Amino acid sequence: MDPVAGIGLRAPHLAEIARERPATGFLEIHAENHLERSEAVEALRVDYAFSVHAVGLSLGSVDGLDEAHLARVAALVKRLEPALVSDHLSWSTFGSRYFNDLLPLPYTEEALAVVVRNVQRLQEALGRQVSIENPSCYLGFAQSTLSEPEFLAELVRQSGCGLLLDVNNIAVTAHNLRLDARDWLDLPGQSITQYHLAGHAVNDADGETILIDDHGSRVSDGVWALFADVVDRFGCRPTLVEWDTDLPALSVLLEEAARAASVGGRRAARAA
Amino acid sequence: MPLALRDLQKAFAAHLSGEDQPALVAEILPAAQRLRIHRHHMLDSLGSALAATFPTVQAVVGADFFRRLARAFIGQSLPSQPVLAEYGAGFPAFVAGHHAARDLPYLADVARLDWALNLAFHAPADGRLAAADLAALPADELPSLRLGLAPGTVLVASPYPLDRIWAASQPGAAADPVDLAAGGVRLLVLRRPDDAAFVALSAGEAAFIAGLGEGLSLEEAAGRADTGFDLSACFARLLGLGALAAAQ
Repeated sequence: MDPVAGIGLRAPHLAEIARERPATGFLEIHAENHLERSEAVEALRVDYAFSVHAVGLSLGSVDGLDEAHLARVAALVKRLEPALVSDHLSWSTFGSRYFNDLLPLPYTEEALAVVVRNVQRLQEALGRQVSIENPSCYLGFAQSTLSEPEFLAELVRQSGCGLLLDVNNIAVTAHNLRLDARDWLDLPGQSITQYHLAGHAVNDADGETILIDDHGSRVSDGVWALFADVVDRFGCRPTLVEWDTDLPALSVLLEEAARAASVGGRRAARAA
Repeated sequence: MPLALRDLQKAFAAHLSGEDQPALVAEILPAAQRLRIHRHHMLDSLGSALAATFPTVQAVVGADFFRRLARAFIGQSLPSQPVLAEYGAGFPAFVAGHHAARDLPYLADVARLDWALNLAFHAPADGRLAAADLAALPADELPSLRLGLAPGTVLVASPYPLDRIWAASQPGAAADPVDLAAGGVRLLVLRRPDDAAFVALSAGEAAFIAGLGEGLSLEEAAGRADTGFDLSACFARLLGLGALAAAQ
């Protein structure tokens, strides 16, 4: 498979992309930013493949999905016909309050049943497979009985979903929860549909270093190294470079995506 | 005894709203202080969303003041759904009642203008009436015609010069102070192909638009305007702006 890397389509870059049509593997949008007034994005469909990344479906919510929101996401997916649809292993809504954060789940059989049910409902509403992204975690729960990779593997097995493997999130979670990033290399590789790369911030909190997944800088050296290991283990996949805060010039984003494609290509060539 | 998932999410939600949750804290690894990261992210990201929706308010009061105002609003009014462009409907009323904005009596109207521009930007493109749509209508039926406002079109009236305040807050605007006693305005906010914008209306035009919005016919709405109101000129202007729609 040819390595393909894409970039996030963010509002400040929209006019430039529409005008210049730069070469890139695909464009990713956040579903919640384009539920209305998506004409400008739809106009790019002739030149680009799309990936629709939802951030607000709250697949870990114990009370199930917000059907009104689900219907709006389904309508966008129908209009755009993206190559991939995804959201996160997390929750963000409780009791009709939306917290705008990807909140962590305990990795228990109870939570697994909730996420499986919600992912199945999502796939049924969209009429297609969705991919679920490993989250960036800052805390864990004493009650967890499964590791995150074990939880994800079971989710794939029970719901038939794909996996969106965010390599930066592995690095962030492994550091913050004192885990070994290599544990994620035991995931069922054939279910991985896309990789994500992004920059993170290094913060000092009460004398300890915490990595914050802020998508606000270039991909770190450590994450590039982990990405090489991931590609060695699982092979090439379409790869997205995410950048959401302190958005740089479009050319910087395209550079990072080109580097991702070249890392993927080199590793794949060596493996061949 | 570990919390069941519903109780855990309920406690987490309460923690994010600022309540102490000892049963939740006992569950957190490696340290309960990590919960702060989530509360901070929630406040920060929702504050940024409000700043994007209310850019003129932020330009008027500055980033620090705006952040405090936003945090107070977020504390009492979290989003009810995940589309952040639709969050903040209650912010203008909140600003109107907030003690910190007491010395800025025009600020709530600035917030209303920002919210109207935000709604207009996200309004659907269809439903606009063009002159050609009325070409087949016999001229003598025009006065009794009832029309509505196109999606996103809304009148924002204020006793303060909102248009000047808005212009002064744009990037690169001259730093000249705005004369707050310059008089009130009636602004018609509209969706345009690439953005949202507003135009200033005369008192007669504003009264006419308000009448149409109440479901009056063109002739009846014109009766709301002051003497000397030029119905055909006003009607042509509104049609040209794409402000009108077929009655619902």
